[in-house]
Amino acid sequence: MLQTSEPSTLRNTLLITAFDVQKLFFQRRGVIAISCFSLVWLFLLIYPIHGAVELLNNPNFKDFIIGFAQMSQTEKLLNWQVPELTVYWVIALYLYPMFSIIITADQFASDKQRGTLRFLLLRSNRDSLFFGRFLAQMLIQTILIALSLLATIFLACYRDIDLLLPSLSSSGFIVIALIINLLPYTALMSLLSLHANSARQATLYAVLFWMLTSLGLAILNYFFPVTEFLQFIKPGVQLSDMLNTQGAGVLTYSMLPIIQAVAFLALGRVYMQRSAL
Amino acid sequence: MSIIVAKSLSKHYGTNKALDQVSFEIEDGLPTALVGPNGAGKTTLFKLICGFMAPTSGEIEILGHKAGSNSLISKMSALPQDSLLDPNLAIITQLTQFGQLQGLSHTKAKHEAIKVLEIVELTDAAKEKPTALSHGMAKRVAIAQSLIGEPELILLDEPTAGIDPSNAKTIRTLITEQRTKSKFLISSHNLDELEKLCDQVLYLDNGQLQQSLSIHQHSDSFEFLTLTLKGSENLKPIIKEIQKIPLVSNIVQTQSNELSLQYDSEHSLDFEVQLLTCLHKKQCQYQSIYKGKRLEDKLFS
Repeated sequence: MLQTSEPSTLRNTLLITAFDVQKLFFQRRGVIAISCFSLVWLFLLIYPIHGAVELLNNPNFKDFIIGFAQMSQTEKLLNWQVPELTVYWVIALYLYPMFSIIITADQFASDKQRGTLRFLLLRSNRDSLFFGRFLAQMLIQTILIALSLLATIFLACYRDIDLLLPSLSSSGFIVIALIINLLPYTALMSLLSLHANSARQATLYAVLFWMLTSLGLAILNYFFPVTEFLQFIKPGVQLSDMLNTQGAGVLTYSMLPIIQAVAFLALGRVYMQRSAL
Repeated sequence: MSIIVAKSLSKHYGTNKALDQVSFEIEDGLPTALVGPNGAGKTTLFKLICGFMAPTSGEIEILGHKAGSNSLISKMSALPQDSLLDPNLAIITQLTQFGQLQGLSHTKAKHEAIKVLEIVELTDAAKEKPTALSHGMAKRVAIAQSLIGEPELILLDEPTAGIDPSNAKTIRTLITEQRTKSKFLISSHNLDELEKLCDQVLYLDNGQLQQSLSIHQHSDSFEFLTLTLKGSENLKPIIKEIQKIPLVSNIVQTQSNELSLQYDSEHSLDFEVQLLTCLHKKQCQYQSIYKGKRLEDKLFS
């Protein structure tokens, strides 16, 4: 037998993460996916973001919005120093969770169906595989967020170079807040992808999850108002509140998605440990 | 030394008992064969040994560790049935990743990947994606991954099933070459193949272990010889002639042109000379003379 040291769970977790990230950036399929993502963001930057900035710079429009939506609901959102980031924040807050459901749907499904997971399980334990793939998806999404944010900052600086420093100071908070928001979505998709036989089926399960929990909880809440707290099992329930935040304030609602992610990961881990692969 | 120890191992799928209270011990040495009809529980047993699923009850220990344990990484490997590599990654990339997961550095893992591809004679296909390979080549690559790091135990689930004779021969040759380095547990329906490669045989049927026997072990003071004659003419005259050899204790016609002869093992050489003389006398040509009983006859007679 070739002499090797027994690989640790952490080492193999990080290796699996690295393999999956490499797969995205060095494979044709991954490059196509990134190209599509970049095109979508290019379109968003050129039209909605660039167009909206002109409106947001107009004091009359600001007054109109404040009057229309009441001061308390928009004051922080409209007071961002960089208007490009205001529009980016609004779009990214809702767009990334949808992206997340699509791009993280195939964490395990295809490999499980094909039997590829067995080759990995002969060389790593189930925890390494589960958390390694989850981390890889988070890292990929972080890179995508960073890329789109950099493009937005470039757009802002192209208009006014003095916006560079305020842009950079806000972007750190934005990246962290968006990543935290995506944690429960990705963790839920880890669980659904383990159960599904294909990426498409995992996405369908996600749609069913949101529809059934929304409908079920609405009915339950109607008859038993004390069950309102159950709304918190749905990822993204805090998004509308996060909209009107600014600077470090964007992190105010971080606790809920972190707790949701921990709960989904714990469920996924149990499922992974017990399932036949 | 015991390589695998199973105690009262059961696996149930609902009411279907895929494995039912199976106990056995596999020792180090020549390859062990796992045989049985379709649905006998062979693949389920492989999956339990590999840790792909948990047993309903019972225990299984591999090289002194529980199935699925981290300590088995690098020590045990397998060719799982119907498992395919990632179609989007080059073969060399995937094999290198497997080596890294087994604790090798990237450079060593790459060397090891090239080495195992050389063993299965597929170095040229290293940069190809699995989708570019034929079924036989894909099977050889899957066997190559099981050889990474020279593990102590290698499980091969139907390594030659559904592939052409040429690829099957290549696989048999490589198992023969590697069997001194690793202990093999091979599941197959091809009894002739197992006869050539293995020593011990586990026979599973209906989820239960029906027999555990050694292919090359002789029983008591008697030995067997399987005589296959050319053509399938009437064997009665030759049987009558062989019966005259005093060392023969029993003759059974196993097929239209095949006889199983039981004789006194102490006079093995004398018997063989007398048998050939007998065949010469009757002007009868033989196709093969096989020392011992065929595995098929051992298992099913």
